[in-house]
Amino acid sequence: MLTEGVSLIDSRSDRVVMEPNPTYWNPERKPTVRIVYDNGIGKDEGIKSVASGDGRVDVVFDLTPAEAKTFPQSDKGRIQTKKAKTILTGVFNETKPDSVWRDPAVRQALNRAIDRQFVLDQGAHGYGTVIPAFIQPGRYGADPGMSPIPHDPEAARAVLEKAGLGGREIMIVASPSWQGVVAAIGQCLSKIGLSARFVSDRGALPEDFDVKIEWYFDWTPQYPVACVHREFFGKDATLRQGPEDPEFDALYEKLLHTPAERTEEVVREVERYIQDRSKALFLYSPFTLFAVSDRVAFTAYDTCMSELAETRIKG
Amino acid sequence: MDAQATGDPGGGNAWGPHNTVTVVDPSPVNWLSITWNTMEEANRVDHDGIGQPSLAESWRWLDGETLELKMRDAVYQDGEPYNAAMFKLGFDKVQEWTNPHPPGAFLNFARDVTCEAVDDRTIRMRFPGGDSAALMKLRGMHLPSTRFWNEWGFIDPKTGSAEGHW
Repeated sequence: MLTEGVSLIDSRSDRVVMEPNPTYWNPERKPTVRIVYDNGIGKDEGIKSVASGDGRVDVVFDLTPAEAKTFPQSDKGRIQTKKAKTILTGVFNETKPDSVWRDPAVRQALNRAIDRQFVLDQGAHGYGTVIPAFIQPGRYGADPGMSPIPHDPEAARAVLEKAGLGGREIMIVASPSWQGVVAAIGQCLSKIGLSARFVSDRGALPEDFDVKIEWYFDWTPQYPVACVHREFFGKDATLRQGPEDPEFDALYEKLLHTPAERTEEVVREVERYIQDRSKALFLYSPFTLFAVSDRVAFTAYDTCMSELAETRIKG
Repeated sequence: MDAQATGDPGGGNAWGPHNTVTVVDPSPVNWLSITWNTMEEANRVDHDGIGQPSLAESWRWLDGETLELKMRDAVYQDGEPYNAAMFKLGFDKVQEWTNPHPPGAFLNFARDVTCEAVDDRTIRMRFPGGDSAALMKLRGMHLPSTRFWNEWGFIDPKTGSAEGHW
């Protein structure tokens, strides 16, 4: 039960407090602790508090790979990881009619230029899993026959040079959290005579950027295309950087009107379509990262939501 | 907000550091986490990312357009019983708005979708033309008590509207 404070899209109270509902019907999810979201404590301060065991903070959400990697040695707290339903992917700038990124072969070539495991290991300290497109292997809708686009720098070089991109600097817009990822992409590109320039997404989006890195997550009950794929490529997508794609929209319509028992095959068809057309610069699925006090048994959610019903105090 | 305003039944639980978990959550979707921590829907998604029944204990498609849900026997924290009529109330409320969900219109039920409380425990929803996204949409259809609807109802006090504020 919410007993203090509010959290809105554009603002939140200094404290939001939730207390257990003693009459809740589900014993498996009946909370045993009061939860205080302390919005007056910054992330850095929260991480330090968990590591020091000073008792002010028990769980910090949404650590970056760098924050997790530099978490101090501590017997009071630890880094907890979760293979959540996430993606980190690059959106091609296809806004101009003459953009080279409107050509699927060029998009595929940039995908072939990238060594994803290297990008993950070098750029994000290995906190993630390389996946074929937008769905993790083993999840609902994952196609067991799909694998990541292979790393083939020489094939990539030939196509990119033919497209007039030889020697070019690729401008990549991203959150500062992913600066290491952009640097690792740059190292991959340097092997074929290209380079990458990081531009922070905190300012206005430059008109002439090439790729924009986006982190996204799937909170749905086994319906990833509506939440994730549509958000990137659908006619009502908020992350699309180019024209509408009638082929994608037709697949989405088909999914909506497919009986529930047959939807998974259509989800796989969508996954294959976005990879076949190299609709994005596919990178990897980032783990969600938490700093957690040792006094707490924290249950993280694959949806990336901070649902805390199962979180307990140890002992 | 005092305890009475939230329907807190009280009970004298002494809260202190020993039974409090303090969280720092900078996520821009913290508002949604708070909603899903404090409200309930027909279904939910568990910590492994799998859909599960919640206030509906089961459901089945009777045909390509008709979804039947069996409601759980539960009670709100303010003592009001939960039943099929409360589900229907939640559906009617969300349908009053054009675009109530912050993530976007993909969560909307079409205007021609109907919802009938067949009895205290049974809901029948009809989706003309079918809608395989129905259960995803139900995950975003919150089912609070009458008191919530009367006192709050997802209305933004600044605008007087629930558009984009669900």
